[in-house]
Order: sequence, then C-alpha cells, then structure tokens
Amino acid sequence: MLQFLLDVLIRTSDLLLVSVGLSTLYSLIRFPNVAHVQYAMLGAFLSLAGQRAGLPLGLAAALSCVLVGCLAVLLNIFVFMRLLRSGSAVAMIGSLAVSLIAVALVLSTAGSRPLQYTQDISAPLTLDGVAVSSAQAGSIACGALTLLIFSVLLYRTNLGRSMRALASNRALALASGIDANRVTNLITFASGVLAALGGTMLGLTESVHVNLGNNLLIPVFSAAILGGLGNPLGAAAGALLIALAETLVINVDFGSLVGRSMQFFPVAYVSAVSFLILLVTLMVRPYGIFDREVRRV
Amino acid sequence: MSSFLIHLLTLVCLYAMMALGLNLQAGYAGMVNFGFIAFAGLGAYAAGIASQLGWPLPAALLLALAAAAVLAVATARLGRQLSSDYWGIATLAIAEILRTVALNESWLTGGAQGIGGIRPLFADLPSPWRDLAFLALAALCLALVYGGYARIIHSRFGRALKVMREETSLAVCFGYDPVSLKMRASVAAALPAALAGGLLTYYISYVGPDVMVPSETFALWTIVMVGGLGSNLGVLLGGLLVQSVYSFAPFLKDWLGVSSDLAGAVRLGLVGLMLLACLLWRPRGLLPERLEALS
Repeated sequence: MLQFLLDVLIRTSDLLLVSVGLSTLYSLIRFPNVAHVQYAMLGAFLSLAGQRAGLPLGLAAALSCVLVGCLAVLLNIFVFMRLLRSGSAVAMIGSLAVSLIAVALVLSTAGSRPLQYTQDISAPLTLDGVAVSSAQAGSIACGALTLLIFSVLLYRTNLGRSMRALASNRALALASGIDANRVTNLITFASGVLAALGGTMLGLTESVHVNLGNNLLIPVFSAAILGGLGNPLGAAAGALLIALAETLVINVDFGSLVGRSMQFFPVAYVSAVSFLILLVTLMVRPYGIFDREVRRV
Repeated sequence: MSSFLIHLLTLVCLYAMMALGLNLQAGYAGMVNFGFIAFAGLGAYAAGIASQLGWPLPAALLLALAAAAVLAVATARLGRQLSSDYWGIATLAIAEILRTVALNESWLTGGAQGIGGIRPLFADLPSPWRDLAFLALAALCLALVYGGYARIIHSRFGRALKVMREETSLAVCFGYDPVSLKMRASVAAALPAALAGGLLTYYISYVGPDVMVPSETFALWTIVMVGGLGSNLGVLLGGLLVQSVYSFAPFLKDWLGVSSDLAGAVRLGLVGLMLLACLLWRPRGLLPERLEALS
C-alpha cells in the first residue's frame, strides 16, 4: 500500500510541475501552449549538458531552469504574442511548429538514444520495507515545495494578485494600472522554470530522451484540463487524479474479471487511460472539475 | 531523375488530397483538428488489412472510407461537448491513441513492423508505365476531390459552413444545426484523406505506425497554412512546395554525409520552420482565401 502511495506521489510531482505552469499561463495568454511540454524536454537536456560540462547536478539544473525560463519569455514575446493577434487557433498551430523545431534541434544535437545523468549511487532509503531512491525522494519533495511556493506566490504576493486580476477581468485590471506585459513575462518565466525542473526530475527518475516531451503531452494536458485550464491549484489536483488512475491501472490485477490467474492492463495504453478519464469528465463538466467561473451561454 | 519526379508528383497528389480534406474541416468549417492524420492512417490500415485478407481494390478502399467516416462522426460528436481549444487537444490525443493501438495490436496491424508485401496496383505493366499509371490514378482522384469540393463550397452547405465558422449563433438563427453541419463537414473531410491513405498503402506496398505520427499532421497543416487556409487552389500549391522540400531533405544525407538521426531532424525542423515563418509573415498563406464581396 505504501509502495502504491509512493508511486502515485512520484508521478504526481512529475506531472504537477509541468501542468501547473501550463495552466497558470493559459489564464493569461488564453491559448493552450503545446510547446510547454517541450520546455520540460529542453530543460532535461540542458541539465544534462551542464552536468557533462562539469557542473554539479544541482547547479546545472538551476542554470537550465533559468535558461528555459528566458527562452519561454523570448518565445512568448516574439512568437506567441504576435500569433495571438490572428487568433488562438493560429497561436496553437504556432506552438506546434515551435515544438517540432525543439524536437528537431535536440534530435540533431543529442541523437535519439536515451541518456542518463551520472548520479552517485547511494543506498536507497527504506521506509517500512519499501525502497525509495534519493532521486525519487527528491522528486516528491521538489513537487511539494514548488506547489507551496507557487501558491504563496499566487495568493500572498502582489504579483499573484495582479495575475489573478488579469485572468478574471483583463479590462478592469488594465484600467487599474496593472502592467500586463510585466506580469505575463514574469509568469511565463516562472512556468518555464517549473517545466524545466519537471523535465529534469523526470530525467532523474527515468531517462533523458527526445520523446520525453511528447510522452508528457497527453497526461499533462489531461491534468491541466481536468483541473480547469487557467486554475493552477486545480491543475495540481488534476495531476494527482491522473497519477492515481495511471498507477491504479498498472498495479491492479484484472485476473479475476477475465478468469485467468494474472491479467494486467497493457502498459502501452496507460496514457490512453488518462485521456479517457478526461473525456468522461468533460462530458459531465465541460470546463473541468474545479472550474468556478460563471459563464453566460 | 524522371522516376523521382513521378514519385514526387504521386506523393504531391496523395498529400494534397489529405490537405484538401483538412482545409475543408479547418479552413471552411473552422474545426481546428490536430489529429487529422488519423483519418489517413485509418484508411491506410484498412486498405492494408483488407488486401491482406485478399479483398479486391474497390472493396479495400470502401472499407478505408467507411472506417474514416465512422471516426469522423465520432470525433465530430465529441465536438458538441467541447470548446474549440479543448477539441483540438482531444483530436491530437485521439490520433496518438490510435497510433498506440496500431503499434501494439500486432495480431491486426503487424505491430511496429507494420504490414508489408501488399500487392502493388498495375503489377502487370512494365516498369516506367506502372508508376505512370499510378500517378494518373492519383491525379484523377485528386481532380475528382477538387471538383467535388468546389461544388460543395459553392453550395448552400458550403455557405452554411462559412457562416458557422464566422458566427455560430447566426447559423443557428438561420435554422442550421451546428452539430449536424460539423458532422457532415467532418465526414466530407475524412473521405479524401482515407482514400489518399489507402492509395498510399498500395503505392508503397506497406503500412506501418509511422503513417500516423503527429508530425505528419503538422506536415498537412504546413501545406494548408503555406497555401492559404480556406483556399483550395492554395492547398495544391502548398502541397507541391512542402512535398518538394520534404522529399529533397533525405538527399542531404548523401550529399553531406550526415547521420540518419540528423536527416530526420532536418525534415522535422524544416516543416516546423516553414510553418512558423508562414504564420509570422504570411498568416493568410501564399494564395489567400478570396472573400466574396456583398453584391
């Protein structure tokens, strides 16, 4: 049972870092940025490059987070803001083009083989008979800490208040003197940092490869949409729900249902499960579970 | 060189058919579909499986069309529930899930190896004529699709689609049911894509999960956006341009002696760069949609 709980928590913190940033950013720029999952992939590779260049992993990860954050801001100013003038669908197609270019860049410089960080081999912690590697413990701690810092940022600081004001009523927020560009840039930077951190964590617990971003696409978007796009804490809850469902489906033995001794769900279809949950939810609540905005039809 | 030219033109015809379908759905009906390649992929697999079972060509192509039509109705019904951003993500996910199915259900689809050894069309003809005959068939299909679409677009149905794209509530006021319009537009868009997918299977005598990778959808989007969203003539031009660039990329491997990873990356990167450059500097494409003036 403890093993199950830990698996859920590890997966949650991986998804959470990417989906919270995605969802927060959506409330400001109003289009689903598909390239966001590629920021995670780029972050993982930049951390790897930093480590190969001789930096300690912590410093390499910090540097990669800052770089990806800056990249996210630059892309947002020079590409997405311009595309948004022609509509959210055009911006979304543009974000797909950006993610193609990102994959192509990584494929041409790092190749398609999975790579690993060099980590000190340390004895795993043992909790009540369940082994947890230090990378996994770090990943959980990182997810929890980020969620805490991010909610403080959103609900206790001026930046967070401005951001929520912009998200709920843009015209009124602008009229009251909020600098929309500054807020958007800061939040874009923060979400890029989160995505890079999430990608690095994912690279630590699994491996660093070029499909890291593509594999995140369905679960991360499912989590963000489940929570109601634009609702950061909802995205965190969505990540928990998706992680729970994925882990449940992998671990439950369906043998008694089909009359065989052992029958597990095929692992290849796990991402389909998160998507199915999403579809069923959207049938009932078209704007996600945690959406509180009032909409006029 | 001339056989390469025939190959290129055949691919242009097939991909232009798919892109015309996407243009009807996204350009005229305003349904932003990011999993459009699923229709072509389903058609390709249906044709492959049917020909493995020994079905004749017309039956195999009919199966391809039927499978794509069912998928089109299902995705369009989904659109009733979702707003357009959410629907775009949902179609992307549906295409990915179908690809996962194709990759894993080896008993039906041959898994990662795909289905090979499909008997090519016109196998009795001597070498250059076989390819030319196939090109003629592909071009005939493209012409039929183009002509059919021209009729659809200038019909009441086509005008209703444009009204729905611009102002859905106005279409409702005119007495059109958006769900039914979307469903019919989706089926009309899926059929040529499935036909092209099925023909592609016969052309390369092979079908594998690679036909459904998301970058193929973006290649179609690039064709449509380069040519001009909502302009069928533009889509033909876009198909020619994009497919030429796409087909010349593998030559880099021989000329520059780069690895196959890098050649694949160049292909992906070129599609991405063309799409982005077009969106930034020519957002309405090379041959923009001509909007009819009020008379």
